Amino acid sequence: MRTEERNGVAGAGRDQFPVGMRVLAVDDDPVCLKVLETLLRRCQYHVTTTNQAVIALRMLRENREMFDLVISDVHMPDMDGFKLLELVGLEMDLPVIMLSVNGETKTVMKGITHGACDYLLKPVRIEELRNIWQHVVRRKFSTRECVTLDTYEECNKPLSADSDYAYGQVTCGSPDQSGRPSKKRKEYHSEEEDEDEDSNGQDNDDPSAPKRPRVVWSVELHRKFVAAVNHLGIDKAVPKRILELMNVEKLTRENVASHLQKYRLYLRRLSAVASQQAGIVAALGGRDPFLRMDAFEGLQGYQAFTSPAALSSFSAHGLSSPRNNQAAVVIQGRSIHTGSVSSTTNNSIGDANKYHLSLQGNQHGKLAQGLATSLGQAQLQQKWMNEDNGDLSAILCGNSLVKGMPSTLRSVTSSTLLPQDQVECTQAKVAIQPSIRAPPASLELLEGAVGASSDPLESRVSQQGALPLCGFSGSRLPVHGPFNNNGATRLGDAFSASFRPTNDLTVARGSKVGASSFGGTIHLSPDTEQKYWSFGSGNSFRQKADESSADSLLDPKLVWSSSQLTSNVDAHHSMSQRSNNCSINIGHGARMFGQISANASPVVPQAKIDFLFSGDTSMARNASESSIPRLQTELSSSTCSFDGLLNSMIKVEKDDNAFGDDLGCDFYSLGACI
Amino acid sequence: MAAVALKNQLNAHIASMFAAGFLDKQFQELQILQDDGSSPGFVSEVVGLFIDDAEKITGLIAGLLDQPVVDFDKVDALVHQLKGSSASVGAQRVKLSCEQFHSYYEAKNRDGCVMALALLRNEFYDSRSKFQTMFQLEQQIEACS
Repeated sequence: MRTEERNGVAGAGRDQFPVGMRVLAVDDDPVCLKVLETLLRRCQYHVTTTNQAVIALRMLRENREMFDLVISDVHMPDMDGFKLLELVGLEMDLPVIMLSVNGETKTVMKGITHGACDYLLKPVRIEELRNIWQHVVRRKFSTRECVTLDTYEECNKPLSADSDYAYGQVTCGSPDQSGRPSKKRKEYHSEEEDEDEDSNGQDNDDPSAPKRPRVVWSVELHRKFVAAVNHLGIDKAVPKRILELMNVEKLTRENVASHLQKYRLYLRRLSAVASQQAGIVAALGGRDPFLRMDAFEGLQGYQAFTSPAALSSFSAHGLSSPRNNQAAVVIQGRSIHTGSVSSTTNNSIGDANKYHLSLQGNQHGKLAQGLATSLGQAQLQQKWMNEDNGDLSAILCGNSLVKGMPSTLRSVTSSTLLPQDQVECTQAKVAIQPSIRAPPASLELLEGAVGASSDPLESRVSQQGALPLCGFSGSRLPVHGPFNNNGATRLGDAFSASFRPTNDLTVARGSKVGASSFGGTIHLSPDTEQKYWSFGSGNSFRQKADESSADSLLDPKLVWSSSQLTSNVDAHHSMSQRSNNCSINIGHGARMFGQISANASPVVPQAKIDFLFSGDTSMARNASESSIPRLQTELSSSTCSFDGLLNSMIKVEKDDNAFGDDLGCDFYSLGACI
Repeated sequence: MAAVALKNQLNAHIASMFAAGFLDKQFQELQILQDDGSSPGFVSEVVGLFIDDAEKITGLIAGLLDQPVVDFDKVDALVHQLKGSSASVGAQRVKLSCEQFHSYYEAKNRDGCVMALALLRNEFYDSRSKFQTMFQLEQQIEACS
C-alpha cells in the first residue's frame, strides 16, 4: 500500500470522481477475484484485492480512510461474507457490495438486511461496476446531515457488536469536527484505533465526496427540533414551520427537511421494532433487530457481571440550609462513564463540542458483590449522556481517580420517552429518607439515562427523556436501605421496545406489553458487613404516546455517594417537562435521621432536565406520609465501597434560578466532592 | 501468413466452443476486456486460473464424497465456488453441471453427488482440453509473430 500513490490517485480523481475511487475487492476465488479486479480497473477505480475476508477486515481497520467501497464475495471459507459485511457496517461506515453466484431471494435478502448497499450476481458485468460509485456518494449524503441520529445509532451498535471488539473497548474520544460517520464509528473501538483516528484525522477529506456545509444536529438543536415537531404535531410538521419555530440561524429548510425525514424513519422503525422484537431488543439494545440478530450472539459474554458500576452524579451541597425553597436546577451534563471496568460499556461520543458526549453503556454492572448475588441478573443498560463542554475531561480525570468510592449506588431510571409522544407521567414523588446524621448533606442527583435502547432512537430517548437519577451521598452513614420499587408500568406496543427491563433492580414484569408492575427489592451488601440497601420506590409512569398509550418502566437509580451527611436532606426533585410529569417515589423508611424526598420527574424532549429541589423537611415528611413503601435505609458510605467503582460525572449547569445561589448550595462534580 | 492462418484457426476453435456450449457470453466479455484494454494475455491468465482452481476443487469434492460421513455443507461451498469461477470465466458447461449438482447435495444424496461429480468432471475435462487447444494456438501465434 503506497499511500502516496494512493493519495495521488485519489487526488487526481478528485475532479473526476469516480475515477480513482478506492475499492477493496474480497473474494476467495482467484478466478473471480482476477476478473473482478480487471473489471474494476477498467472502470478506473483504484483497486485493492485480497482473497481473505480476515485480511480485508484487517486492512480496513488499519486503513480506514483508504477505501471508499468494499466489494465482497458472500461465500468465503475464512469468514462469511455476511459477517464481514456486518463488521464493516458496524465499525466503519463504508458501503459494501455483496457478490455471489447465488441469486436466491433469501440470500439476497440476507445481504441487504445485513446492510449491503447492493448485491451483484456473478459473473459481474462491467456495466454494473461502472455504476457502483453511486453508493459511495449516496452514503455520504445520507449520513451527512443527521449526525445526531447517527451518533446515537452508534451508541447502540456496540451492543450488537461481535466479540471481536465489543469487549474492553471503552473509549471516549471525541469525534472530529467533520463528524463523518466513518469517524464516529471509530470511537468505540480500541484506543489504538482512536490514535489511529487522530493520525489519520487530517486527511479524512474524501475525494469522492463534494463538500457541503453540514449541520451538526447537536442535542440542543435536536431538542428544539423535537419541540417544534411536537408543537406542530408529527403529522403536520413541515420543514418550513419547524424552521420557523426553531428559530435557529444558519439552519436551512433543507437541513430541517432532511432531519425530519430521518426522524420520521426513526419513529417508524421504533414502532416496528417495538411490535416485533420488543423484548429481546430492548434487553439487548440492538440497533435494529432485523439486521442485527446474529450479532446478538456476541452479547452472551456480557452476562458476566464484571465491574461495579459507576454513577454519575452531581452533588448538591448545602441543601440543608435553605429548606423551603425550590430551585430549578438544570442539569445539562450527564454522566460520563469512562473506563468502566466492564468492557461491556460502550461509549460513543458525539462531537465533543457540540455533541455532548453520549456514552452508552450496556452495563451489566455489579454494583456490589452483594448486589450481584441478590440480583441475579442485574443488567444495566445505561446510556450516559454527557453534554458537557470542555470541562468535562478534567472532571473525568478527577473521577477516575476516585475509585472505590464508598457506597455509590446507581440506578438508572429507564423510561423511554419519545419525543413526539405526549408523555404523561403520573407524578411520582421520590421520597428518600436516608438516615443522615451529618447536617451537611450532599445530595447527588444522578441523571439517569433512560434506559432503553435498542434503537437508534433510543439513544435519543435518553437524550431527551432522560430520567433523573437521584443519588444522594451520605457518608459514614450506615445504611440499610430497603428499596421497594413498585412501578406500575404499562407499555404500549410502540414502547415495548424501548422498555428496558434491565436494571439493577430485579424487576418482575408481568408482561412486556400491557401492564407490568415490578416490585423489586434489592439487598445490597456492599461490604462484607451487613449493610443492606433496599430500595423501595414506587414508580409509576405513564406515558402516552400519540398512537398508543404506553407506560414505561421507570427505574430510578439512586446513587449514594459517600460524603458526610450530617444533616437531614430533603430534596425535592422535580423535573418538569412540557406536559410530562414523571415522578418517582422512592420511599426509604429507614433508620434515618434525615429525610430526603425527591420528586423527580423525567423530562423529555426539551433540552434540559430540571430538578427542583425543595429541601423541606416538611415535605419529606409529607412524602413519607404519603403511604409510600418505606424502607430502611442505612447509608454507610464507607462500608459501601465497590470494586472498580466507576464514577461518572454530571455536570450541572445552573438555571436562571441558580440553585446554588438561591439555596446556597453548590454543585460539585463528583470528583470534587470526594 | 502462418500467423493469420493460426489466428483463423483459433477463432474457429473458439467459435466452435461457443457453438458446443462450452463458452457463454461472459467469455466474450473477457475477450472484449482484453482487447479493449492493454491487458494482453488476460483471458489466458483467467482461464489458467480457472483450470487450476477447478482441478483443485473437484479433487476436494471427490475427497469429501469419499468420506464415510459426507459433509454436504462443505460440498455445497465447494460447488458454489466452482460455479462462481466457471461463471466468471464463461465456462458454461461446467457452470451448468455445478447447478445440477445442487439438487443432490441439497437432498444429501451421496450417490447422486458422486454421479454429479462424475458429470462435472467430464464437463470440466472436456472444457479443459478445449481451453488447452486454445492456449496452444495462442502460443503458436505468439511464436510466429
